[in-house]
Amino acid sequence: MSRFTAEQRQVFGALADILIPEAEGMPSATSVGVADDLLDRVANLRSDIVGDLLRVCRVAATQDPQAAIGKIRAEDEEGFAALALAVAGGYYMSDPVRRLLGYTGPERRPVATDAPDDFGALLDPVIRRGHIYRSV
Amino acid sequence: MSVSSDHDVLIVGAGPSGGIAAKHLAEAGFSVVCLEQGEWTSPDQFHGDKPEGELMDRQRWHWSPNHRLIEADYPLDESGSDVGVAMYNGVGGSTVLWGANWHRLAPSDFRVRSLDGVAEDWPLSYEDLLPFYEETEAAMGVSGHDGDPAYPAPMRYPNPAFPIGIAGQHLARGMNKLGWHWWPGSNGMPSRPHRHLASCVRLGVCSKGCPEGAKAEAGRVFWSDAMAAGARLVTGARVREILIDGNGLATGAVYIDRSGVEHVQKAKVVILCANGIGTARLLLLSRSGRFANGLANSTGLVGRNLMLHPVSAVVGTFPDSIESWVGPGGMSIYSMQFYETDASRGFVRGAKWALMPSGGPLSIHSGLAGAPLERGWGAAMHRKMRRLGRNAVWSIVGEDLPNPENRVLLDTEMTDSDGVPGVKIQYRIGENEKRLKAWHMDRAAESMLAAGALETLKVAVTPHSGGHLLGTARMGDDPARAVTDAYGRTHDVPNLHIYDGSLFVTSGGVNPTATICALAARCVQHLIANRRNEKVAA
Ligand SMILES: Cc1cc2nc3c(=O)[nH]c(=O)nc-3n(C[C@H](O)[C@H](O)[C@H](O)COP(=O)(O)OP(=O)(O)OC[C@H]3O[C@@H](n4cnc5c(N)ncnc54)[C@H](O)[C@@H]3O)c2cc1C
Repeated sequence: MSRFTAEQRQVFGALADILIPEAEGMPSATSVGVADDLLDRVANLRSDIVGDLLRVCRVAATQDPQAAIGKIRAEDEEGFAALALAVAGGYYMSDPVRRLLGYTGPERRPVATDAPDDFGALLDPVIRRGHIYRSV
Repeated sequence: MSVSSDHDVLIVGAGPSGGIAAKHLAEAGFSVVCLEQGEWTSPDQFHGDKPEGELMDRQRWHWSPNHRLIEADYPLDESGSDVGVAMYNGVGGSTVLWGANWHRLAPSDFRVRSLDGVAEDWPLSYEDLLPFYEETEAAMGVSGHDGDPAYPAPMRYPNPAFPIGIAGQHLARGMNKLGWHWWPGSNGMPSRPHRHLASCVRLGVCSKGCPEGAKAEAGRVFWSDAMAAGARLVTGARVREILIDGNGLATGAVYIDRSGVEHVQKAKVVILCANGIGTARLLLLSRSGRFANGLANSTGLVGRNLMLHPVSAVVGTFPDSIESWVGPGGMSIYSMQFYETDASRGFVRGAKWALMPSGGPLSIHSGLAGAPLERGWGAAMHRKMRRLGRNAVWSIVGEDLPNPENRVLLDTEMTDSDGVPGVKIQYRIGENEKRLKAWHMDRAAESMLAAGALETLKVAVTPHSGGHLLGTARMGDDPARAVTDAYGRTHDVPNLHIYDGSLFVTSGGVNPTATICALAARCVQHLIANRRNEKVAA
């Protein structure tokens, strides 16, 4: 069963789009699912912040989202930290967002056993200068 | 309370120092039991290779026990500390999360008093430790490039170095322009399959736990062999006191299991491997009429001279992608150019710089790090995120000189999940260290610009970077000035030994685990060779 009602998702989404709007060629938070499947994913991974998120949604439900963000930030440090983490954490898990950023990490880059090293001649001057430790 | 029968040796703590002791002792035929407050981990528990990794390393795999909230941890009051402490409590100890930078101390590190007139000399030399460095490098499958001129020859590694990557090549060219030393990284993970370790695939997430089973984590490297040789490892066992008989000899320990039941584990010899904070905590907890200041503490030095190595960082932003999330993570290159003392710089001793991966989106998100809304979020955030993959980071570890006022104390207000007192950390960064940090950050920023960085950012102390837990039961020949002798035997209690980072006399300016491992190997082999002379309780 979902931990968030449709209304809570709507409130959360409005806050999320203020933190991450469509701009600079990047999509807004809700357009990539930050208030939908990504919120569920975050909540499953980080159940420890769900209580804080529900409190934030309660506080924001009766206010203009911009004013609500200012109030939460000023008065509820833990609530804002949870909101920020859920919004950014969800957004940067999104495949389209990662593609737009050109971010392919973390990725497996095994080293072939017979691969030549990639620093060879660069080290020559260091070796030429000789020992630099202090003998005792 | 149940009482378990005598073992030859009881070890407290299943990190690398405990693992090395257990392996050697069990293979030499001793009956060994180890009590470890935490549990095993396995590669499939780590998320570093998945998109959710960055969410999880902010809680379950956080470096700070205060943030992880798992039963095995004990609370640390850091309100009196200039840096947060990093450690992991479980089989493998802090190597579960370590960054695997592998460095020997330099010969001068053992002679700081004689050479620079500060702190104390160690009761042993680089040459004394050399065979034990080599032994543990072979066990840990260290990968590195032979012949670094920052160390005496021969300086060889069991596995070849990793590629230094695009970021490493940029920085190496910058260092060459300046005529400064750099060298391909030496890392505690194999570039080829090595005994119990898979070969590293450069995910670059070492300090979030290795999902590949490649990093040299002590559970894998030492405990599998120790247990195959007969050592018994009891997990979920929190030691709250070392027991002493009427003759002042150790007889075992009291521990609490995960259901809250107390047990007594008897042993002829006790070895503490609970790290530079956990060992001091346990000695201070083990007060008695005979040892009113805590066990093995006639000098009053237990818990003092805590050295934490708070890490500084210099970030350089490059015009194009340098794939700075690619591992090893671990370091791709390092520099010891300014490691040795040059008094004209206004401080003594030096530091090592390591080029580490710069992480994923959350690690460079200034809004999450507390920046105001207009700078950390909105369109500004999208612009800043374009730096992802273009940031190179020098991670700077500098000498942290011992100061008796920097210390571990018992916290009578905050207790762990078993009601055992937690720890207060009293730690201030000294004047020499502040000058050293400022000077090194300036040079590191110069090197970034020489390498082509557009701009640089300096961070004097990175959060929760106090992960080198050193000096709180230092070794030395003089019982009035040291807690243990040069083989880790406490001067006050002949059958009580310490083999972890508490033994460090000075911190050096490199990561300590190579030396912790070498010391443990040297100490335990001395104990085994001298077994007939060991005084034990009747
Ligand atoms: C995030 C991070 C990154 C690091 N990176 C590096 C690096 O790149 N290079 C490097 O050289 N070092 C690094 N380190 C440090 C390195 O991990 C430690 O130096 C090393 O693990 C110390 O080994 P140890 O055996 O002394 O103690 P630990 O590994 O800390 O093990 C101590 C064990 O004792 C147990 N214990 C403590 N008290 C009790 C008790 N009362 N009862 C039962 N059990 C107890 C603990 O649970 C723990 O498992 C890093 C550490 C961290 C946390």
